[in-house]
Amino acid sequence: MSFLIQQTLLYAIPLMIVALAGVFAERSGIINLALEGMMIFGAFCGVLFVNTMQDTEWVFAAYREDKYATLQLIIILAMVVAAILGAILSLLLSFASINLRANQTIGGTAINLLAPAIVLFLIRMLEGQNTLFLAKGDAAEWFMIKKSMFGYGAKESMGFLGDTFVHKTYITNYICILLFVILAIILYKTRFGLRVRSCGENPHAADSLGINVKKMRYAGTTISGALAGMGGFVYALTTANCSSNGDVAGFGFLALAVMIFGNWKPLSIAGAAVLFGFFKCLAAGYSSIDINGDGIFMLKELGLSPHLYRMLPYIVTLIVLAFTSKNSRAPKAEGIPYDKGQR
Amino acid sequence: MKKVLAVLLVLVMVFGLAACGNTPANNTPANNTTPANNTTPSGPVKPSTPETNPDKIADTMTSPDGKYQVAFVTDIGQLKDKSFNQGTYDGVKLYAYNEGLSYKYYQPANGAEATDDDRYNAMKAAADGGAQVIVCAGFLQAAALEKAAKEFTNVKFVFIDGWNLGLANVAGIAFKEEQCGYFAGYAVVKEGFEKLGFMGGGGGTNAACCRYGYGFVQGAAAAAKEMGKKVEVKYTWQYGANFQASPELQTMANGWYTNGTEIIFSCGGSIFDSIIAAASANDGKVIGVDVDQSFDSKTVVTSALKGIGAAAEWACGKAFDGTWSAIGGNAVSLGAAEGATGLPTATWSMKNYKVSEYEAQLKAVVDGTLKIDDAVIQAPSYPQSTDSCTVIYE
Repeated sequence: MSFLIQQTLLYAIPLMIVALAGVFAERSGIINLALEGMMIFGAFCGVLFVNTMQDTEWVFAAYREDKYATLQLIIILAMVVAAILGAILSLLLSFASINLRANQTIGGTAINLLAPAIVLFLIRMLEGQNTLFLAKGDAAEWFMIKKSMFGYGAKESMGFLGDTFVHKTYITNYICILLFVILAIILYKTRFGLRVRSCGENPHAADSLGINVKKMRYAGTTISGALAGMGGFVYALTTANCSSNGDVAGFGFLALAVMIFGNWKPLSIAGAAVLFGFFKCLAAGYSSIDINGDGIFMLKELGLSPHLYRMLPYIVTLIVLAFTSKNSRAPKAEGIPYDKGQR
Repeated sequence: MKKVLAVLLVLVMVFGLAACGNTPANNTPANNTTPANNTTPSGPVKPSTPETNPDKIADTMTSPDGKYQVAFVTDIGQLKDKSFNQGTYDGVKLYAYNEGLSYKYYQPANGAEATDDDRYNAMKAAADGGAQVIVCAGFLQAAALEKAAKEFTNVKFVFIDGWNLGLANVAGIAFKEEQCGYFAGYAVVKEGFEKLGFMGGGGGTNAACCRYGYGFVQGAAAAAKEMGKKVEVKYTWQYGANFQASPELQTMANGWYTNGTEIIFSCGGSIFDSIIAAASANDGKVIGVDVDQSFDSKTVVTSALKGIGAAAEWACGKAFDGTWSAIGGNAVSLGAAEGATGLPTATWSMKNYKVSEYEAQLKAVVDGTLKIDDAVIQAPSYPQSTDSCTVIYE
């Protein structure tokens, strides 16, 4: 059970935070197709930051002396770095679609093509190969939270909650969940959030009430870029052993699907991400899932083909979309460049 | 709005597909520059003392005349895979560096999706770049190699993990992987591990990986029988068909470790990264492959060594010292007798299983008293369970 929950969260959290990134952009009226590109770029920046920091004396000393707090701080800083650089990349999209009123779909696609190319170019310059790894050791050894940090022995149990939500987790999970909640509240319960949303529904009405549409759209897209960049790094840290290779396995596009699936609403998105993560986890780990802890691996004993399990996440998405897309309601003004003169 | 949504969905699907394999097209390393415009170009010089540590030799070098005499064409997966490609290239580098020759590596375009044409193009680039000998790693290169070898008859080709192509300028070099797999399986069971795992690359069609896996199971079974124990081996080819790390593989390995698997034999280049990540998270152990991987992770107990580097070095030597006819147009299968398979004794970390015991076993394999079945068992079949060893295929 712990295994199932932990692995589900591993997939669900990057999806959730990147889907929220999509929400911020689209709710402000800009279609952000570039989530994938921003994730790739953010992942690279975060990994590069961690890689560089590992070589500095004080970080290595912290690792040697088991100063876990310092290592966690490095991860938080790396998230910040990834977020800042993701935001900077998103300015390209904002500029093209807000100032130049370019087609947002094309702008996003361009960034999706640009980001992996830049990242690979830089990795080849830096490392002379296609993947940027950690400088030393692996992600779990350096940055994973383990029960030994709290003085538990290898055989001692932390109880179900401890074993599931503390042992073998990354701090990034909790930061992302916290950020998700805070940002969802901002989007729905603050003046700023209302203004952002109004620009995605009816920018002319918003403008007539004195809201600066350009500014709001810039804000929405920049938050979107920051979250996507951060999500990319979280993905790289937790599922790719903190390495970057110009690829996030299509998670950016999956996040777009999750966003549509979640009807542009944070709560539904969280649900959709967990559902998708659950099936992803099922696909890869079905043979090790023992739900009630009696030592019988039911899914494995069913004897179904592993390929069936691997198809599940996508089949389920298709089915659910087929049934829910009727009620799906995109922000009205998304994708339409704002033109003051147009009525 | 519906139109926009439709476009969006189409894009999601198109890019979702495209995202499956967008490893870049990198035909050549960065250093394909024309000769530097300094006045007296000086080629690489033969070092006074031979270098033995390949990590001290740069992966790329600039030849003043723009010609590279010794070339290496990689298998799928990247050069620095801490395993097959890297190990082979280490041998190429050592030979070239110590002989004062220029060297260069070529990665076929399109990464894991490289076609025969991509591989041929890489070989052609190497031949056009002045290569006298081209080392090609991996059995997937066969078709491209045949085409290139027929075209560039004055270039010598070394086909690592290969066989006899019937061409005088191609030397096939294969290995008896079942031997080192056997040693590794035997050693870890003797060391005290009872729940083992095997994760292979190549989707169960790569002959080398199949031999490794079968040897591993045989070794584990033999040791368990001697000790009167019963061991369990989980056996899978599900992920890593392209020899690449993936989140799914990491989840699967996590699941195995969580449910009691103590040690996993990582048999497939870069899938090593996913497996050590899972091992490290769960305090599990790993067996490395091809080269001694204990330098890359603390979780590595031992590695099933195959002398790819030494073989590449040896074959390059044959190409330059005039004894090529001994191996050209032929195929050799190197094993323990040639010192090409084994376990790393310099970094021995096992306590219950001693180096002396391993050496006795090695000797038995060399003199033929211990025979190991070298059958290639391709997926979906898998090694059968024996009384002492249960194989669980996933």
